Amino acid sequence: MTSYRYEEEDEQETEDGAHTMVRPYTITRGRTAPERDDFSLITVLTTAEQAVDEHGVPLRVGRLQPEHRMILDRCRRPAAVAEVAAGLDLPVSVTKILLADLVAQDLLLARAPLTVARASGGADMGLLAAVRDGLRRL
Amino acid sequence: MTTSPTAPSAVKILIAGGFGVGKTTLVGAVSEVAPLRTEEYLTQASVGVDSLTGVGRKNTTTVALDFGRITVSPELVVYLFGTPGQERFWFMWNDLVNGALGGVVIADTRRLETSFASIDFFESRDIPFVVAINCFHGHNTRTTEEIRAALDLDPHVPLLVGDVRERTFGRDVLLALVDHLMSLPAAVG
Ligand SMILES: Nc1nc2c(ncn2[C@@H]2O[C@H](COP(=O)(O)OP(=O)(O)OP(=O)(O)O)[C@@H](O)[C@H]2O)c(=O)[nH]1
Ligand SMILES: [Mg+2]
Repeated sequence: MTSYRYEEEDEQETEDGAHTMVRPYTITRGRTAPERDDFSLITVLTTAEQAVDEHGVPLRVGRLQPEHRMILDRCRRPAAVAEVAAGLDLPVSVTKILLADLVAQDLLLARAPLTVARASGGADMGLLAAVRDGLRRL
Repeated sequence: MTTSPTAPSAVKILIAGGFGVGKTTLVGAVSEVAPLRTEEYLTQASVGVDSLTGVGRKNTTTVALDFGRITVSPELVVYLFGTPGQERFWFMWNDLVNGALGGVVIADTRRLETSFASIDFFESRDIPFVVAINCFHGHNTRTTEEIRAALDLDPHVPLLVGDVRERTFGRDVLLALVDHLMSLPAAVG
């Protein structure tokens, strides 16, 4: 299985011969970076229970763009950024832009991964014990 | 950002090793879902997102990651990321290596050298790892001592030999990693 490929279907030749991305960045309406990039691959997202707009009026999810609606649907059960991206079949960077839109509107809640870096002391023993117990049940 | 009170926390383990060595197979053997695939643009990190204004983009090559998940408890999910065989692509996911609990390097005794780069990578980033020798390509004719010597492994790095298609082997490899993490001096309780 090759680990990379050339995405011809997403390309378009412009007059000067340069290739430009069409599909994914159309979905993000031209944006190539999220407002804030504090998502990691395993940031866990959960759809907010009661989505309301800035005036407290229940949000009409049907008026969101399809990708945003798909994300809210998917994240009714908590899902990591990587899982959402795989489900949408969009690159991670594009998915993060869409996720940031929803988090900014409080439609989606994000949970950052646990800090386990060795530089900051490593994973704590309680966490490791929980992982070990879970693995033993496999 | 608003934090969900009910969402589980997540940690990740990286499954590395040379091309075709059995990374995706191991992920699939222990994951509760069939391995998922996610992609990232090769151009994204190489030129920096700020300069990607849509024009002048020469290609849209992507790099893929396979991953799976193990729900350890309602509060905790372990994600397993099978990293691309070529370490030079790992920078694509700026957070792929950041915050990883640890790694598994899969190696094939017929071509151990294809896993050297993964070992170097984990060592240089101070990411604890274990080595899993995958035997599904045939019988392993070398002793673990020979393999350790060939890989120039530190004596404390766990080495396991088995078949990555077997869930029990995958589980034992991950358990060896967790035990290894618990034995490390820097881990705090
Ligand atoms: N001999 C043998 N080969 C197998 C078996 N199962 C899978 N393979 C082959 O082993 C190769 C690697 O398996 P993968 O798990 O995809 O390995 P990988 O490390 O994820 O590979 P890349 O992601 O391409 O680097 C594939 O080419 C499979 O065809 C098996 O049961 N026996
Ligand atoms: Mg693979």
